[in-house]
Formats: sequence, structure tokens, C-alpha cells
Amino acid sequence: MTAVTDTVNAAPPAPASTGTPVRRRTVTPTRVWQLAGPFAVFAILFAVVAILTPGFVGGNGLVVVAQTATATLLVALAQAIVLHVGSIDLSNAAMALFSAILLAKMLGPIGPVAPILAILIVGLVGAVNGWLVAYTQVPSFALTLGMLGILQAASLVVSDSTTVYVEGNGETVTALYENAVAGLPMMFWVAVLLAVLLWALLRFTVVGQSLTAIGLNESGALFAGIRTRPLKVAAFAISGVLAGFAGMMIIAQSGSASSTGLGSDLLLPAIASAIVGGTAITGGITNPINVVFGALTVSLIPIGAAAIGIPPEAQSLVYGLVIIVVVALTTTRGRGVVK
Amino acid sequence: MSKPLTRTPETSDAPALTLTGISKSFGPVTAVRNLSLQIPRNQVVGLIGENGAGKSTLLKILTGLHEPDSGTIEVSGRPVRFRRPQDAVAAGFGVVHQEQSLLTNLSVAENIAMNALGSQDAATRYGWYRWGRLNREAEQVLARVGARIDPRATVSELSFVDRQMVEIARALRVDERTHASPIVILDEPTSVLERNETAILEREIAQLKHIGSVIFVSHRLDEIMRICDRIVVMRTGELVADVAKDEVTEDDLFRLMIGHAATATRRPDAARGNTAAPVLSVSGLTRKGEYRDVSFDVRPGHCVTIVGTLGSGRESLCRALFGVEPFDAGTFELDGRTVRSWSAAEATRAGIAYVPAERRTEGMVGGLDAKENMTLARTGGKGFLLRRRAQAKLAGEWFETLDIRPRNPDLDLARFSGGNAQKVVMAKWLHLDGVKLMILDHPLRGLDPGAAETLNAQIRAARDRGAALILLADTLEEALDHGDEILVMRDGEVTARFDAGRDNPTSLDLLEKMV
Repeated sequence: MTAVTDTVNAAPPAPASTGTPVRRRTVTPTRVWQLAGPFAVFAILFAVVAILTPGFVGGNGLVVVAQTATATLLVALAQAIVLHVGSIDLSNAAMALFSAILLAKMLGPIGPVAPILAILIVGLVGAVNGWLVAYTQVPSFALTLGMLGILQAASLVVSDSTTVYVEGNGETVTALYENAVAGLPMMFWVAVLLAVLLWALLRFTVVGQSLTAIGLNESGALFAGIRTRPLKVAAFAISGVLAGFAGMMIIAQSGSASSTGLGSDLLLPAIASAIVGGTAITGGITNPINVVFGALTVSLIPIGAAAIGIPPEAQSLVYGLVIIVVVALTTTRGRGVVK
Repeated sequence: MSKPLTRTPETSDAPALTLTGISKSFGPVTAVRNLSLQIPRNQVVGLIGENGAGKSTLLKILTGLHEPDSGTIEVSGRPVRFRRPQDAVAAGFGVVHQEQSLLTNLSVAENIAMNALGSQDAATRYGWYRWGRLNREAEQVLARVGARIDPRATVSELSFVDRQMVEIARALRVDERTHASPIVILDEPTSVLERNETAILEREIAQLKHIGSVIFVSHRLDEIMRICDRIVVMRTGELVADVAKDEVTEDDLFRLMIGHAATATRRPDAARGNTAAPVLSVSGLTRKGEYRDVSFDVRPGHCVTIVGTLGSGRESLCRALFGVEPFDAGTFELDGRTVRSWSAAEATRAGIAYVPAERRTEGMVGGLDAKENMTLARTGGKGFLLRRRAQAKLAGEWFETLDIRPRNPDLDLARFSGGNAQKVVMAKWLHLDGVKLMILDHPLRGLDPGAAETLNAQIRAARDRGAALILLADTLEEALDHGDEILVMRDGEVTARFDAGRDNPTSLDLLEKMV
């Protein structure tokens, strides 16, 4: 061994304190939006709905919103973590649906192991997505579009193109739907807990900082010696696991799943939730806590839309508009501008 | 305080450009303070100053990107006001920016015409190109600056010097519309060029004064002394000197820019003749189309500099050592461990530090703040949780040590100037334990002499503590100054090796083997 190991570390001289260092965060509209925007939008929309729909607050309106928001939130978190590393996953709603079908099939025969197995299987599908994106450098948009097709076919085959009902051991997961904590169903709180865990991962861990660096500038991260490819695989695998949880919540809520059911309507609302939650589609900027408010807002939209007389057929139109408007408002326009 | 060494130039006619009492502030920061200046006709005037001295702001005022808060601008004795970049073009200002701005997928002629497209230009009719005329005019413009370049060639096929000449030719087109004697602003046109290419460009720039005036911005004082007739020095937004070339030396200029004299840069020769076991031993490394059969050793406390022009393969070689580019044949050993292929993450954990030449796109992560960038690289497992407090303390200390400004480690690194950002990029590796080998690819590119001096001292200190170094220098002087051994590469092959102590090579010796 040479004698140089550990000797390169320069001991910086004791800093001569030259006045107080300037510590000023610049406050930009984008920054304010990222911090408080999603909550503010939710609060305003909530107030509008509460005023226009008598009995919304007093009745079970909040419970309905929390129920519909749960699966959306989990798929939105799955999307957010992939957006965070600068990719996109168009297959994660299909993953949620696929895991729901698997779970409905397996719950009777194998009982409590089934949810874990279903989540692990789609986690693996996510990892495969990530591996292909990281090592073959196929653009994630194209790759996950392909995976979406594969998963739809797999769902049709596994479900025999019919609705699959849970036969036995249903209480393992329906307890999440039936039991309430603080007035809202348990499954909603599980999703919120997962959001908090994801937030803590991004905010407080070395892995989280590395994921952020990859999303902001992948080359820069690579040149800092960050394991960019394994970390991308990890982000996609986490995404798959979260989609698996979403599948479990679908079963908890409805006790059945079909390849034309709930899951196929999740993709657009989930992307809308992630974006309304302040997630940057360019990568590196994600706050999972705000995605919770994003999902609540997006779940309120149909109720609010109905309250002001927009027919239910126009729901997708509203989601589509929300995505376009929010992205247009929050995108940094650096290109083509003389600074 | 040093008094401005202003001397009135002896010109018969009104000067090409007269600035009187120009000031410009951004919020509380005064970038340019009460600046008065004359640019004589048909002269090359060098503009120098540290990063942040106000040069960029002054150039932006002259090109119509900023309006001054106060003061007047006169072109050939006529007062002008630039509200938009087009106004500056109309007054006869042409700019060659630091970064090349040609569209590389288009032809030379198209790029030259681009400056005028959208206005009534003879090369187009109803929005359609008139190719014959376009090419003929491009040929004339290129001939004026003495460049022999085919206007039909695609820009991506051209060398960097030729591209720079196309930029200058394009900048010079301004006078066709105004008939004024043009003023060409060259903002560090040589910073991306290798030394021998610089020599060609220097000759071309010297020719430009026959058709107009030139404002030449550069950090290379030797170059300034060779090309310029007059030299203007700025410091903290003010003009501190406006002198003829014959009246000053390089050392004077350095002192005027920085405010103190340059410290001796040559180090004692005691470290040479090192016989310790090599940290890195490269044998027969080959990548098709880039470099062939390269072998050399780097010992602890030893610096190998590699010189060569673009296409010598030295950048690609260094990237292979760090695991960000593959190689086809050969091996290298790090501390006795044979490596056939590895990733940048493995290289980092094995003790290699790498500072890439592309600072903004590869050296740093914009969007993360300075302290996060500084602690991004890890040589080994440092636990699962981020240690924010330790991070802030470390960043605070290095901000003091390297005099990084502004003193705000919480600021997005993308908002720092080039020199200060590069200090953060270097600190990322300097603070790490266990770095055995530092690979520095143009670490001082585009830096002002003050920042360069700070980082040079750190590079020397790292070596004195026993790190092995591979340096790709900006200039041959820098390569000679740091190198214990100097490898010369040409077209992917090592054409010469010099032992700095024994052979005592000169720049000319190196240049001979480079081209």
C-alpha cells in the first residue's frame, strides 16, 4: 500500500470570520408555487366545492374524496419518483391494474402473502423498465409505452378478459377500506404515510440527493461518481412498488378488478396529480407531500365540475387542461430567450 | 490606490468609440461605475479584468443588451443610444461571443447570411435563398478577413479556428449596412482553442485593424501583449488603467487587475526524480479512432501533463481512465489493481478524482446549491443519511479557503460565475479523503488570473500532500509549469516524453512534436 491514502485531504485553515455570510434565499414565483401552491389550490377548490355543494362537508363528501384520491395518489407518487430522475413512466397505471388482477386471483388460494407477492411482481416489472432505460438508453417515454401495451395484454390473459372477483380472504385487504382513522379510511392514511416516507428519502438521505442530482443533470451526477444507472433502476422499482400498493387499494375498495376497470382511468389523473403537486416534468424537483394535495385536488375536480354544471363526460377534458395549464405556468422558459 | 494611468490617444479624427461616465447597477450591486473610455480607430484594444470586474456588463451595454443607468456613448463622434441589440448592430458593432454560436448543421454561407436574414437582404427573395448570391457574398466577406474557407462547407466539418474566423466574418457584416467603420468585439475568442490554433487566430485578429477597430477580451496576458495596441484594465467596475502596450509589462497588468503582485509560480525542483511505486500505470491503452498504444506511469506527488491539439486523443484517454468512455485494448493498474473496464462510480471509490473541461454540463449539477455540489462525490460509504450540518460546516470552510464569492453556500451553483463555480467543483474533490489520483481536464479554462492563482496553489498543495496528477493544461506554459513529466500526443499517439528536470523542454520543443 502506498503512503498516500488519506493524505490528500486538505485541512482548510481555521476560517477567519469575515462578517456574517449572506444567507438569502431568492423568492421566485416558481419557488412559492413549489412550496405552498398545491395546498393553496386544494384549499381554494375545497372552499368552492363546500360552498356550491350543500352538505358536502357535513355529509361523507370528504370520505369520498379521500377514497377516490388514494389510488390516484399512489400512482401519482409512482410517477413523481420517475419524473424526479428525469424520465416518465406511462405504464404505471397499467401496473397498478395488473397487480390488482393478480391480487384478486391470488388472495383466495394463498391469503395474506398475496398482497406482498403482487406488489413485488410489479416492483420487478418497474425494475425491468428501469434496467432497460438505464442500460439500453431507450427513451423512457417509448419504452414505457411499449410496457403499457405488454401489461394490457398480460392483464387480459390473466383475467381471462372478464372481471375478477376476490374469492375468500378478502378481509385481509378490505380492512384498509372499512376501518377509519380520524374519519378517513385507513387506506388513504397508508398512502399518505408512503408519501411521507418518499419525502424523507428524497430530503434526508444520500440516495435521495443522488436521485435529485440525476434528475437535474445526469452527466453532472455521473462525473461526481454517483451510480446513476443502479439508482435509476431503483427509482423505477420504487415506482413499481407504489403502483403495486395502488393495485392493493383498488381491491380493498371494490373487491374486484377488470382490465377495463378502474385502473385504466388512472394514468391521466395520476400525471395531473403529480404535476399539480409541483413535480417538475424536467426532473429533479419533487415534493411528495405536495403530491398528496395534488391528488386531493384532482379528486375534487369531478365533484367541483359537477357542482358548476360540467357534465361527467368532460372529466378527461378537465384533467387534460389542468396538465397543460399547470405545466405552462410553471415551466422555466430558458430556451430561446436572451438573458 | 493606484491612479488611472490615462493617456489621451493621438488621433486626427474622432475616435471610433467614446464612452463618458457610463454607470450600471443591478439592485445594490454596481457593475460599472462612472467609466469613461475611448477606442481609437484602427487599433486593437485589449480589455482585461478579473471575473466580476464588470467586463461582461460593459460588453452587454455595447451590444445593446443592457442600457446604462447614466453616461453617453458616441460612435465616430455621434451620440447613440442602444435600446435593443439591433441598434448596436446598426451602429456598426459586431460581436463574437465566448461560446461559439454557429449552427453546425448549416453551411458557412448560410451562417454568415443568418446575421442579416429577416431584414431586406440580397441573399433572399420572398424568403427563398438565392444560393449563388449567398455563396458569392460569403466568399467576399471571408476574403476580407483573410480566411480561405469554402462557403459551401458544412460548419461541423471545420476546425475550431476556421469556425472562429467564420464568426468574425459574420460579425464584420455589420458595416455593409451602415458604411461606418465597424467595431468588432471579441469576447475571449481563444479560450476554447489550443495554443497553436491561437497563434493563427492572433495573426488574423491583428489584420482586422486595417478595416476597423477591435475590442479584444482575454484572460491570457501574454496574448494581450502580443495582439493589442492599447490595454484597458477594469477592476470592481472601474477603469484602473488605459495604457499603450509599450508602457507596461505582463506583471504590471497582473498587478493592475488583481491589486497585488503575482506570486512566484515555479516550485522547487526537490519533488522531481520521484521513485515511489506508481499510483497509476497505463500500458498499451487503445481506443479505435481516438488513441493508440498509450503507456505511462504516474507516481505519488508527481504530475504528468499531456499536451496535444484537438484530435490528439488526450481528452478521450483521460475519460477512459475515469470510466466514462470505453477503451478497446490495453489495461491500466491503479495501486496494483488491474482494470479492464469500470464505471465512474467505481473509479471514484478507487480514489480517482476528475475535473471535466465542460464545467456547466459535466462538472456541476445546476439546481443543487453550492454546498450540495461540494459534497456530491463520495470515495466510500458515508452512511445512509445526509449530514446537513457537517455539509454546511465543510462548505463554509472551503468558501473561506478558496475565497468563493458570493459567500453563500446555499445559493444554486448555476448562479455563480465561472471562476467561483469552478472553485466549488475543485473543492468537491479536494476535501475528500483517499483521493490518490486527480485527473484535471483544463481546470483553469476561462478563469481570471486571481481565481487561476488560487486553484493553481491548491493543485500544487494536493501534489505536495502526495496525490498523483494528470493535467491537461490550457497553455503550454501551464503544462511546463506543473509537469514533472510531459507527454506530447499527436493524432492519438505519444510522440514525445520529456522529463521536466532532466530535459528542461521549452514550449517550442513541445509544439514541434504536437503538429
